[in-house]
Amino acid sequence: MNAPPLNKLVPEHIKCFEPYIPSKPDNELIKLYGCSHLFRLNNNENPLGPPEEARGVIDRFPAARASIYPSGDAYHLRHKLAERSGLDPEQFLVGNGANEVIGFVIKAFCQEGDNIITADKTFAVYEWVAEFSGFEARLVPLVDFGFDDEEMLDRIDEKTKIVFICNPNNPTGSYWDEERLRGFLRNIAGRQIVVVDEAYCEFVEKEDYPDGIGLIREYPNLVVFRTFSKMYALAGLRIGYLAGDRDVVDIIRRTCVVYSVNGLAQEAALAALNNQEHINRTREMVREGKEFVAKELDILGLPFVHDQGNFMMIRLPMSDSLAYRKLMTQGVMVRTMTGFRFPNYIRLTISSMEAMEAFVEALTRIVPKGEKP
Amino acid sequence: MNLKNNREVFLSVAADSVFLPLVTSFVENGAVALGLGRAEAMSLTLATEEIFSYLCRIASPDEMVEIRCSGGGYYVRAVFLFSVEDFNMRAFNLTTTVSVDDEASLEEMGLLIASRTVERFQVLIERGKGVQLTLIKEKKYPSSDEETVPKARPLKEFSIQEPNPEEMKLLALLVGSHYQDLITPEFFEYPGKFVDMLESGECRAALALAPDGHLGGGIVWRWTGLKTVECFGPYLFNQDPDSSIPESLLENCLGAIAKTHAVGLINRYPTDDLPKEHFEPLGSLTIFNKDGSTASLTAYFRQMQEDPGTAVWSHPELEGFLQGEFSRLVLPREIRLVKDLGETKTRFSVLSTEFDRSRNVVTLRPIRPGMDAGTNLANHLTLLSRESLRSVFFEMDLAEPWHTEFTPALLKHGFTPRIVLPYAGKSDIVIFQLGEVAE
Repeated sequence: MNAPPLNKLVPEHIKCFEPYIPSKPDNELIKLYGCSHLFRLNNNENPLGPPEEARGVIDRFPAARASIYPSGDAYHLRHKLAERSGLDPEQFLVGNGANEVIGFVIKAFCQEGDNIITADKTFAVYEWVAEFSGFEARLVPLVDFGFDDEEMLDRIDEKTKIVFICNPNNPTGSYWDEERLRGFLRNIAGRQIVVVDEAYCEFVEKEDYPDGIGLIREYPNLVVFRTFSKMYALAGLRIGYLAGDRDVVDIIRRTCVVYSVNGLAQEAALAALNNQEHINRTREMVREGKEFVAKELDILGLPFVHDQGNFMMIRLPMSDSLAYRKLMTQGVMVRTMTGFRFPNYIRLTISSMEAMEAFVEALTRIVPKGEKP
Repeated sequence: MNLKNNREVFLSVAADSVFLPLVTSFVENGAVALGLGRAEAMSLTLATEEIFSYLCRIASPDEMVEIRCSGGGYYVRAVFLFSVEDFNMRAFNLTTTVSVDDEASLEEMGLLIASRTVERFQVLIERGKGVQLTLIKEKKYPSSDEETVPKARPLKEFSIQEPNPEEMKLLALLVGSHYQDLITPEFFEYPGKFVDMLESGECRAALALAPDGHLGGGIVWRWTGLKTVECFGPYLFNQDPDSSIPESLLENCLGAIAKTHAVGLINRYPTDDLPKEHFEPLGSLTIFNKDGSTASLTAYFRQMQEDPGTAVWSHPELEGFLQGEFSRLVLPREIRLVKDLGETKTRFSVLSTEFDRSRNVVTLRPIRPGMDAGTNLANHLTLLSRESLRSVFFEMDLAEPWHTEFTPALLKHGFTPRIVLPYAGKSDIVIFQLGEVAE
């Protein structure tokens, strides 16, 4: 049988696009890099694991339930989220990880010729999804490692449909306080959808940090993303959600893939929401870890960037991809930042003290003495 | 003739000599329409005549050949495409149809003759997909007038911007006047060509400009393979030694390719201002100066992505080199040795040849293994030496076990493995260069 005529079948914007190749499984990486263990400090995962209640749900999940379809729209979870926020359950959409809901929003509002606006150095998926869907992603440079509200407003035109703000920003940790976010929303004046991605909101302890979901009543063009992958440590189950004005969510729901979130993920997420103690313990671990690493980096003379979130960026006097390989041989996996347009930076997930000590030890070995970036 | 878009036309004909006038007319008129001058279009037409006549001799008359002409701003490309099912691929060895000892028969070699009248010529054969013969003829450009080069001054303030055509010409002039030929790519000699290269998207550039538009430096980059980008510079013009311009220029280049499918960025002509902390020294290649002397230049490289590790194939005679390089570069690789256990092999090997006459460079690539690998390689080298091509490279893709079968022949005939380019092909590519390492 003849091969399909891919040149004719594939749209031009897809031809220009490259697939994202995820890391190999840990056991394969351990074999190739010749290390005996692996500290995963690349994906901002929570080493404490899921909250106790979620663990219980996972442990008790009956195998027979695997044969039954889950709730197609995460009915109970949406009701629980609504109860906690004072919104209506119809104002929530649950997805197979927050990445999936990014696609829902872009599909719902963009058509040929439209554009989205975000920062040049932020979570890459807004830009990727827009571009492989055939829409222009306008990238506004960060200022002092933070989103530049004025420049973003300047870049808006009549074809701009969505503005994406990562708050706090991955990978710099910078955030907009409530006053700044409100000011931005006032300037937008409802003309575009403003997405505020709060994937790391549970790590933020600053009092002036805005609760995006709490602002939806005042700003019906505001859509907020949250995830259970980071603080709640359910990354392996893939579950996240968005919240917004009822009419806006009704539009987004039209592009939403139902039944994409498995039943175990829905139940574990529901249980995880109850545990404030888990959040407190995680925050404590992150505080201690950051303090330790910051002190050690000062001794090594390496500049670093951190604010909110369970991660920090470190500037190295060598290529980040070389540092990645050298650290991997010592069993430490970090995230290179060239792909985020921060060449020679690595992003470190703040984890257990054992992992942080292993990282510092490995870093000390690979950074030439007296060499500063 | 079909008009696919403003910049590409194609013609499909049987490989029958009755169509020769049609084919040559198509290419000649197409080349002119796509921007070549009459003289250059005629050179491309002569090359086309040789290629099509050659194809008519070796193919059956009902074999269809598709000819595509496209404009690339500073050049016109003519591509001949056809399938080779049940076809003797051996015919596409540059040396197959004649004896290299026979001067008269050399003149009958259509492929070689065609390669002489164009800047670039390439034979690509993909198993199961067919043959692609590519001719590239460049436009003629006046060289730069160095008397008009303005003076450069240190910039107190600057921003990184994409150049307009006049700024590109200025960059070319300043590079030509501030840097030695050895580390200056040929396209800077012809500012008009450089402008056309940028306009056509063949390469990109970024400049450091003062608020008043004064030019302080620049960097240029272009794709040099499916997964590798090559950068030139950063070039600085009378800037302070501790200027942050080189870092800013390089970061702009890195940012531009950060989210593409580039796996590596290479710099083979490093300037003193290259921020080396962004790179790893990959190895050295011998560069031939215009005066005939040679110099060894270190190639710098950086991966653009996290290396997931891979398995590669090696001939036992290459294993030591690979182990050394993988260890030095900290590349996670599992080396699998190719062993000859007496299995039956095909008799005749096939090599593809890519000529870059503007740089006097030829690159050989294996298309098919064969018991005659050594003889075939030797014949190619004899032919190439007569063509006065000084830089001869051989690219071996370590994803293909049979590529490595050429190793003993390469080493025997004076090739040296020089650098490993991570993931530049299906897997890593080893670049061999003919001749001793220059001091």
